[in-house]
Amino acid sequence: MAEPDPEEARFIARLVARDERAFNELVELYGDRIYRLVLRMVGRPAEAEDLTQEVFVQVFKAVGEFRGDARLGTWLYRVAVNLCKNRNRYLHRRREHAQDELEPHAERSALGTAQGVTTSETARPDQLVQGYQLEVIVKREILALDADFREVLVLRDIEDLAYEEIVQITGLAEGTVKSRLHRARVALKQRVEAALGEKLR
Amino acid sequence: MSEEETHGTEGDETPDDEAVRRLLRGAFPDPTRRPEGDVLRGFQARVRERSGGKFYADLWSTSAQPPVVVFLGTAALLLALVGAAWAVLAPLRGQVERVPMAPRPVEVLPPQR
Repeated sequence: MAEPDPEEARFIARLVARDERAFNELVELYGDRIYRLVLRMVGRPAEAEDLTQEVFVQVFKAVGEFRGDARLGTWLYRVAVNLCKNRNRYLHRRREHAQDELEPHAERSALGTAQGVTTSETARPDQLVQGYQLEVIVKREILALDADFREVLVLRDIEDLAYEEIVQITGLAEGTVKSRLHRARVALKQRVEAALGEKLR
Repeated sequence: MSEEETHGTEGDETPDDEAVRRLLRGAFPDPTRRPEGDVLRGFQARVRERSGGKFYADLWSTSAQPPVVVFLGTAALLLALVGAAWAVLAPLRGQVERVPMAPRPVEVLPPQR
């Protein structure tokens, strides 16, 4: 069990006492990070914002059950991931998971980052289009993956969390996380290659 | 075979794994992206509504930072009110008027005619 530092322990005590100012500080401190995680899990900015607020409401309700077996930030991630998974499953059931509501064009990245596999400093227009298409495909295909696969991919490959943290967030064994991550990568690669019609380099 | 038994350690990552990882990082490049709306206000509104107004029901609790200006303004206003009351009431104070309190003589016998 991680030993909380005294400052965090005092902060948690204020949260448990439902100190409104402490919750304001919590939202200020973690709001953007949780939003980005949620956005990567659900794909739609408006829904990500709604879910981010809901994460903190759930924390407000459940903070009394926080036993300090993980860092506060890790626990917040766990709440966020569980909410996202529940929301995605609910949407899948209701067949409302429209895949064409990806982020608007203005938010796309330049080719150097969008291409991912092959990078270049200066991008030609045809490369920009290619990079943008790849970015759209990757975002679409990760949203089409099983929620459990998406969870480990986002936490490990995008959020860059350590396996130990992912274990605490998901509640899975480390071996299961690694196995699931491997399968998720294979599944995503196959989907992207199928959409592109060519092998990824 | 259980899911746990099918894959090895962190160091076993293949070039394909690394390619997918780079692909994902390329597709989600913005590490500084922020929500368009105010998450704090939305959170406070939800808690206020669901708690029936028990939490976040006043200005003091909903501001992100302690409202020092409001504290100082309130203190200054109260001081001004006390000063104004003193200024109005002070001139009205007068000297104490001495009232003769000695009793008049008591007439025990009836007056003679």
